[in-house]
Amino acid sequence: MRLAAAVLILVGLAAWPFIYDQPFYVHMGVMMGLWVALALSMNLMLRIGQLSFAHGAFMGLGAYASALATMRLGIPFPIAFLSGGLAAASVAALVGPIFLRIRGVYFALLTFAFGEVVVLTFVEWVEVFGGNNGLFGIPKPSLFGLQMTSRPAFYLFALTFAVLSFIAVRAIYNSQFGAVITSIDDNEMLTRSIGIDAPRYRLAAFCFSAALAGWSGAFYAHYLTFISPEAFGFWTPVNMVVINVLGGIASPWGPVVGALLLVPLPEILRDAKEYQVLSYGILLMIFLLFLPDGLVGLARRWRGRWRAARSAEGRSAAGLEQGKREKRAAA
Amino acid sequence: MTAPWPAVLPHCCAGRHMLLAQILSNGLMTGLVYVLMALGFTLIFGVMRIVNFAHGELYMLGGFATLILFGNLGWNYYLTVVVAAFGVGLFGVLLQSLLLKHFIGRELSGMIMALAIAITLQAGANIIFGPEEQSVPRPVTGVLDLGAAVVPYDRLVVGGFTLVILAAFWFFLQFTRWGLAMRAVTQDSEMAAVQGVRPGFIHPLAFGIGSLLAGGAGALMAPIYTIYSYMGELPMLKAFVVVILGGLGSIPGAVLGGLLLGLVESFFATMYSTTVATMIGFALVIVILIFRPRGLLGRTA
Repeated sequence: MRLAAAVLILVGLAAWPFIYDQPFYVHMGVMMGLWVALALSMNLMLRIGQLSFAHGAFMGLGAYASALATMRLGIPFPIAFLSGGLAAASVAALVGPIFLRIRGVYFALLTFAFGEVVVLTFVEWVEVFGGNNGLFGIPKPSLFGLQMTSRPAFYLFALTFAVLSFIAVRAIYNSQFGAVITSIDDNEMLTRSIGIDAPRYRLAAFCFSAALAGWSGAFYAHYLTFISPEAFGFWTPVNMVVINVLGGIASPWGPVVGALLLVPLPEILRDAKEYQVLSYGILLMIFLLFLPDGLVGLARRWRGRWRAARSAEGRSAAGLEQGKREKRAAA
Repeated sequence: MTAPWPAVLPHCCAGRHMLLAQILSNGLMTGLVYVLMALGFTLIFGVMRIVNFAHGELYMLGGFATLILFGNLGWNYYLTVVVAAFGVGLFGVLLQSLLLKHFIGRELSGMIMALAIAITLQAGANIIFGPEEQSVPRPVTGVLDLGAAVVPYDRLVVGGFTLVILAAFWFFLQFTRWGLAMRAVTQDSEMAAVQGVRPGFIHPLAFGIGSLLAGGAGALMAPIYTIYSYMGELPMLKAFVVVILGGLGSIPGAVLGGLLLGLVESFFATMYSTTVATMIGFALVIVILIFRPRGLLGRTA
């Protein structure tokens, strides 16, 4: 029943642009897919309890790696795209063992400085990265000589990418690996005391998160066919965080819900970019103060209350408790 | 990326020692402003354990206060700086008691809340004042020729003001009961609370003083650079770098780190370019965080 519903929804999601081919809406669908993946990559970092400002840089590394691989080396798109994520992941694997020794505030500031250095490198190393102008004419994706040019085709690619990212992240959280990284955030000492090599798990989560950001970057590059360093600065990871906070950090559904709600906002407020940023800030404050579990947390709480009210010992406190338990179980 | 903070260009570079003197004086002048920014930032972190991502926006508010009071209403410049600093300080007290109060001891949410405040203030300023860069006339013009180095008078005013503020701040911390309470909270907030230091009073006070320093810095620098909604981003970056150099929460560290960064940047900006100088700053941060995560003067955990 649930599987059937999921398949039906997916088919609907995949089919609509071919029936209703409005460039504006299809473009928005593509951007939603991109941001779902980006927000999921940040969700992994928040899951290990670290705020990373390096994710704009990881996205940029993936974008430039894939773009340069196709433009300068003539590598076919699928391999270049994969190498985008791998490039970001290898940089993460290189810096991760050192960076992850540092926690909390210091980690946030360290990744911030790292992100700035990477972006400054994109700006300054003009021969390779094209400086502030960035790279133009990045080829559209192609498979076996067929070039992907139509917008609905791009949308399908974005949808597949987002769904695969979601399935991967959810599988990670539901696996033993996910249980370990959650327990590391809860109590690292206790986790290590039962013989778990916590740093290795954190490194693995960091690298996968970077890879996801890198692939998103590669997708972004080949979709827009143009990239410049400013797209990978400070505000990119901030947007990923905003999406996570609004959707809810505790579950992989959070980034999905957050992206679906927030991505259309800039398009609706296109003529007034300041109001878009303002609404981001105010929404963020409201959610942090009143809805710290995000929309998904709110939905879970309501569902918990509803079930508790139906059940024999229905008391409101039980609903809250059940909501919490469900959150743990589902997350 | 915003453009790097422009360094004062050396006017006379007759000899090697003259170049060095110019680098030193430029570095000191910039460094003093870095100290002003970093002190508030580090005080807020030390007392409340909150990384104030909105620190640059408080600097920006100081700039806009100068635009209105000095630029539009024609107030006396020095009075403007004082009023702007205290105004931003009061605003900081408000921010703390309304918004940030709820996030003490919650590092991750606290950082995100500060980010939210930064975003909101920046967008708000953009809506109210428009995206154009605006400027106010310089209150003083001309340069002081020391022979070996040339210092513009307006930078000298900034330097002098900064020294006065630093002295007052140091006196406050060392010789007043509130200052003592603040130092106690920085060292151990629980023990300080046991001794009767009320966090409900010290936290807004610390945030207010930190905001005052940032607002004052913004008001001081407003005539030298242009005033616009993103003007706080770069000074906040510098404050980050400085407090990490000196150690988050360490007051002597902020002074040492600020002057050090000013001098290092001045050297690399004169010898190479401002971008190289910025890169060096961030590279320093990464190296220090890796080898001495608590900074040069930070306490060990």
